[in-house]
Amino acid sequence: MIAREKLNQLKEKFGPAIQRADLPGEDRLFVFVEPSALKEVCRFVFRDLDGRYITGIGADDRPFSGQFMVAHTFAFDREHLLCGILVFVPPDPPRVESISDAVPAANWAEREFRDLVGIEPVGHAHPKRLVLPDGWPEGAHPLRKDVPWNAVPEGFDDEREFDFDEPPEGCVVVPFGPFHPTLDEPAHFRLYVEGETVRGCEYRGFMVHRGIEKLAESVLTYNEIPVMAERICGICGCVHNVAYAQAVESAVGLRAPPRAEFLRTLMLELERLHSHLLWVGLACHIVGFDTLFMQSFRIREPVMWIAEKITGNRKTYGLCVVGGVHRDLTPELGAELRQVLDRLEAEWRAVTAAVLKDRNIQKRTCGIGVADRKLVKEAALIGPMARAAGVDIDCRRDHPYAAYDRVDFEVITAEDGDVWSRIVVRANEVFESIKIMRQCLEKMEDGPIQLSIQDELPAGRLGMSSVEAPRGEAHHFVITGENNRPRRWRVRAPTYQNLQAVPAMIKDQQLADMTISLASIDPCFSCTDRLETVDLNSGTTKVWSAEELSRLARWRT
Amino acid sequence: MNILWIIPGVAVNAGLVLLVAPLCEGVLRKVTAVVQSRRGPPLCQPYFDLLKLLAKEDLESGEAPVVQRAAAYLSLATVVTVAGLVPMGLGIPMNGVGDVILLIYLLTFCGICTLLAGLAAGSTYSIIGISREMMTMIALEPLFAIALLIGVLHTQSFRLDAVLKGSVYSADGFPWSGVIMVGVMLLSFQAFVQRVPFDTSEAETELMEGPLMEYSGPKLALFKYAQMARLVIHSALFVALFVPWGSAFVFPVGWLLFWAKVGVLVLLVTLVAATHARYRIDQALHYFAGLLLVALAALVLAAYGY
Repeated sequence: MIAREKLNQLKEKFGPAIQRADLPGEDRLFVFVEPSALKEVCRFVFRDLDGRYITGIGADDRPFSGQFMVAHTFAFDREHLLCGILVFVPPDPPRVESISDAVPAANWAEREFRDLVGIEPVGHAHPKRLVLPDGWPEGAHPLRKDVPWNAVPEGFDDEREFDFDEPPEGCVVVPFGPFHPTLDEPAHFRLYVEGETVRGCEYRGFMVHRGIEKLAESVLTYNEIPVMAERICGICGCVHNVAYAQAVESAVGLRAPPRAEFLRTLMLELERLHSHLLWVGLACHIVGFDTLFMQSFRIREPVMWIAEKITGNRKTYGLCVVGGVHRDLTPELGAELRQVLDRLEAEWRAVTAAVLKDRNIQKRTCGIGVADRKLVKEAALIGPMARAAGVDIDCRRDHPYAAYDRVDFEVITAEDGDVWSRIVVRANEVFESIKIMRQCLEKMEDGPIQLSIQDELPAGRLGMSSVEAPRGEAHHFVITGENNRPRRWRVRAPTYQNLQAVPAMIKDQQLADMTISLASIDPCFSCTDRLETVDLNSGTTKVWSAEELSRLARWRT
Repeated sequence: MNILWIIPGVAVNAGLVLLVAPLCEGVLRKVTAVVQSRRGPPLCQPYFDLLKLLAKEDLESGEAPVVQRAAAYLSLATVVTVAGLVPMGLGIPMNGVGDVILLIYLLTFCGICTLLAGLAAGSTYSIIGISREMMTMIALEPLFAIALLIGVLHTQSFRLDAVLKGSVYSADGFPWSGVIMVGVMLLSFQAFVQRVPFDTSEAETELMEGPLMEYSGPKLALFKYAQMARLVIHSALFVALFVPWGSAFVFPVGWLLFWAKVGVLVLLVTLVAATHARYRIDQALHYFAGLLLVALAALVLAAYGY
């Protein structure tokens, strides 16, 4: 049993520093370690055992254990194991050793729990704010249990601008975003440009952090959260919906009925289809090839229609509850779905043939935005980013969930790690998705689609789930809790890891390649914060604050 | 030509260009739409667009609003002036006024207007846009100048009516220099009319329209109008210089033939633009440099009478 084997390796190496371990199944392992040994254990797991870093979680566990908690999660992809390294951190003040010089991929995760939970990562090389705006007062940490979900701390300055790093000498700062035609969502890159060459950049994002995790931990209930989780992303919402449900199920040892698992697989793949078609279209648009952009969107449209017929929505399917799914698929819709897939496959063959032979597109994308194997390891890149660099990982195969263990498919990889390879990987993954969906339709048997859950879910259990989103692995970590809601729910969307590699990918490239390099990770930030209105009669302008907008929204509903 | 004829002649030519330019843009949009499986806007949409922009509030913006305004006026004015120097199926109204050198200068001036526009906006993106525009101009203008020079060498004259009459071919056949130059100009034509794959200086998805980013309302209308007119004028120049056959027929036939050839050229531009991705500026410059070498070789050939 692989979980036991890894635990023994850790015990052998660190002995008494391993306090206790929890092996809820053969594919999950939770190890509690001494705070002083955290960094060395993580280094050992990341370097010697070749674990892939997933994310870091900080939690306020004071009401239950009197302490804070930090967890770093790793994946052993070849061995099909997800592993959490946990420490309890004494409060006053909570401090934990930073692991980011041993595991560079932990950079953002540590800055995030420093901001939101107030656990200081001691020894972090760049402990700058990540999630909280610079106008947020020191010492106010929204994810602590004694902070209400709607609290705005004393001294919050809504208007304060970001503190930026100094650009290197001889470079001009080119601001990219928060609003730019190729960014669908606000994110700000300050590019340091010398002539037309990008020498470096600083990223500031999280401008519209919505506090969804806090809401889940304080207001929503277990079965309301999937609806909220789906709204994390406008493109791959179903992924978060399924990942959350699976994380809770894995924590409390439930398993959805087989038909529900097939339905989850089916909808996840439908979502991948629409997402990949959208991405190939946008990539073509960015390099100025609008004809293929339009054709991709035309081919994609029937996918949206069939999704609407099945779920009532083009996007945001509202699929899962804990222990199953909401909606069944009628035989008629199944037949119609098959037709959509047949047509899509034929049309997509024509498009891929055109794209993959186009020397013009190759010229703009070969050797651009390179993320090689080394960067993939250090920054823990996932999804098409990793596969385009020849790193053969895919959660659907490596950490099978839903019905992926009952279907055959290939994991598409490429070698060069550039934008072109990512195009090739995504274009070919569409065919695999179609293959998976056909198998689902064939193998799906009649049966219940929901468990009937009578008892309260047990508190204090740990659960995790990795779901392969179109842009990479989405990871959800749950600690179950009281009052019919989790104590802590941490979401790590795929872009969270992939975005951290962008500065390395665009360094010493042409400015013109910035947009396609960034787009090649298929970034997914978040949506809308404020707007300005102009009164034409008086000529006065009014900027609506986030608070006024949300009041307006509540009034409308 | 009588001085009295110049003014109505220029008016006719300028009017024609201004009238036809939005239609050509309309054709371009419609054909692009068909290639992209869209229905596309009505053919006269560009006229409506211009009218709408012209009717909008005239906002002052950017770092130097006066320069910005002047750039927009100059841009269209230059194009209209050039229209007087180019045959639009009939004679050249300003034939006696200027020669080939003036034509080259004026065409360069179109680029200068874009430069002014970008400088006046003063934003980082517009500065990058004009630096690309300048690099492109430096690489492109010699190509056009060489084409005209080859004509000058063949005809031994700087007069517009002599050169803009298929002069790259000599009276007694097809010299190598002329044939090579047709190829060079065809391969760089997209760049002269600033369309994909050579619209690097405005590249919406990279530079957000570059030099034009601070423009809105009537001033934007003037710039857009000038851009549409450039497509017509460059097509007319190309036809006059390289595809002269049939223009000598009696009035309506030769004239219609001329515009038919311009129409074919617009279609060609559309199709190339719809089937290509944008080049990066360094890739575009490499491409132009290669063409320039070929063009120089053609010039040498022409000098030796080939």
